[in-house]
Amino acid sequence: MERRVFWKVLSGSGLAALMAPIASRAGFAANTRATPRFLRPPGALAEDDFLDRCIRCGKCGESCPNETIKFFDFENGLSSLNTPYIVPREKPCVLCMECGEACPTGAIKKIPHEAEPIMSEVNMGKAVINKDICLSYQGKSCGVCYRACPLPDVSMTVGYMEQPTVTDACVGCGICERACIQMPQAIKIMPRANT
Amino acid sequence: MNSIIPINSKDLVETRFVLRRHLNKLRWLTLAIVFFLLILLPFLHLYQTYLAANAYPLLSNNEKLIFNTVESLTSPFTASPESDLNNFKGTTWSGTLFGIQLSDPLAILTSMTASFTISTSFLMSALIPVLLTLVLGRFFCGWICPATFIYELNDNLGTWLHPLFDKVGLPIGRLRFSQRLKYLVLAVCIIVTTTAGTVLISNIYPPAVIGREIYYLIVMGSFGVGSLFFLATMLFDLLIARRGFCRYICPGGALYSLLSRYRILRIKRDVTNCNDCAKCNTVCQFGLDPMQDSFGQDCNNCSACIATCPTDALTFTTSISDVKFQGAGHLGKKYNKQGIGNQL
Repeated sequence: MERRVFWKVLSGSGLAALMAPIASRAGFAANTRATPRFLRPPGALAEDDFLDRCIRCGKCGESCPNETIKFFDFENGLSSLNTPYIVPREKPCVLCMECGEACPTGAIKKIPHEAEPIMSEVNMGKAVINKDICLSYQGKSCGVCYRACPLPDVSMTVGYMEQPTVTDACVGCGICERACIQMPQAIKIMPRANT
Repeated sequence: MNSIIPINSKDLVETRFVLRRHLNKLRWLTLAIVFFLLILLPFLHLYQTYLAANAYPLLSNNEKLIFNTVESLTSPFTASPESDLNNFKGTTWSGTLFGIQLSDPLAILTSMTASFTISTSFLMSALIPVLLTLVLGRFFCGWICPATFIYELNDNLGTWLHPLFDKVGLPIGRLRFSQRLKYLVLAVCIIVTTTAGTVLISNIYPPAVIGREIYYLIVMGSFGVGSLFFLATMLFDLLIARRGFCRYICPGGALYSLLSRYRILRIKRDVTNCNDCAKCNTVCQFGLDPMQDSFGQDCNNCSACIATCPTDALTFTTSISDVKFQGAGHLGKKYNKQGIGNQL
């Protein structure tokens, strides 16, 4: 927290212009600027702490059995260089929790592969439904997102015509976004940083 | 007795087997193995992903080739590769070898300065490297570092190229700086990680970069931006200062140097066997001066000087400090000119 104050003092003195690429850490700049829509691996600490802890060893990606985890080049600023991210539309997270097991520093928490701890600890983002284009809400019973959800009836419920509703238990794995047959998707994960 | 052919003492030296003279080959073998592992591990990871997907028929021909090759390599050792291969992950920056978590001390230091916290397990992962460094000195730099493997080959290329450059009147690649520069780099890196609160240092630390880039190439299909940085360091070594990055800039090398200030294993010159030929100074990758007993904390015990010494004057010794300059070698011309040799 003190360092954030330090950076604010720096920005006042104009030095920040020089250090801007470094200063673009989360909580200071990365959250507020238009960035690619990405998720951090499941169990990642809050963005600020995550960037503190991550040493860019790449073991999370190397332990990911689906190659879901990718690594940033410069797309998200210098502070995110070589840090892991997930694009749910390309490859969602299956919540196997192997990356937390592999992370040496604790930037990604070690969470057992069970429903309870996953629901309480993982917060990658939250699914948001656009009812204007969702097929079920347009009178064509679909329910694909519900079928795909790893936590059905817990983080997503369906009602009449399989119209989906996302509950607070959603961890943001992104499988529903991957599964959605509508183009553009009627359900998307809003990353936790942007909510 | 007269029937025995007198043996020239010089021949004796050359034919006798001295183990320490062959350590340099062992070192190259170690470097090659580490580099080979960095290439192998991403393929093991790919194999694991194919297994997890459980979809052999869906693999392309190239992927099938990878699958079959890695399967034939690993099947003698493990019945459940999905979980067992997790014991081999990561790079020299931070990795798991035979299930043991190992991290670069620089990773620990910068992670601590970035976050002001550290988990015990992460701290312990640097215990073995640090203890080994306290005893063996900068052995990581000479014996393990995957970047050293490339840089030394690059340096060999330089020994071919530099005479050619000289011929066309371009005497390049000969600059020398202060070896203390790297401590400044380390200090700046620590200040930056502390103020920015993120481990940016891993993007300019060659062993971390190269391990990552090999992984990107094999798994993601192309190098990342770090490869450009690595290429730049190679060009720096080739065109500006010989082995310049390791000698003058590398922050990890600076940390290892500090840790190996009072290392126990050292190389020592036996002044009675030395003939002042200076071959050791020529091969020394770190630009040290073994011929005048000047090793200091920069020596990484790579044993290249031992391997090249024609009179076996360089040996390993256990001591926490170097001996002071012992004067000219007793087999050399200078020593004999001074007339000291004749008195013995």
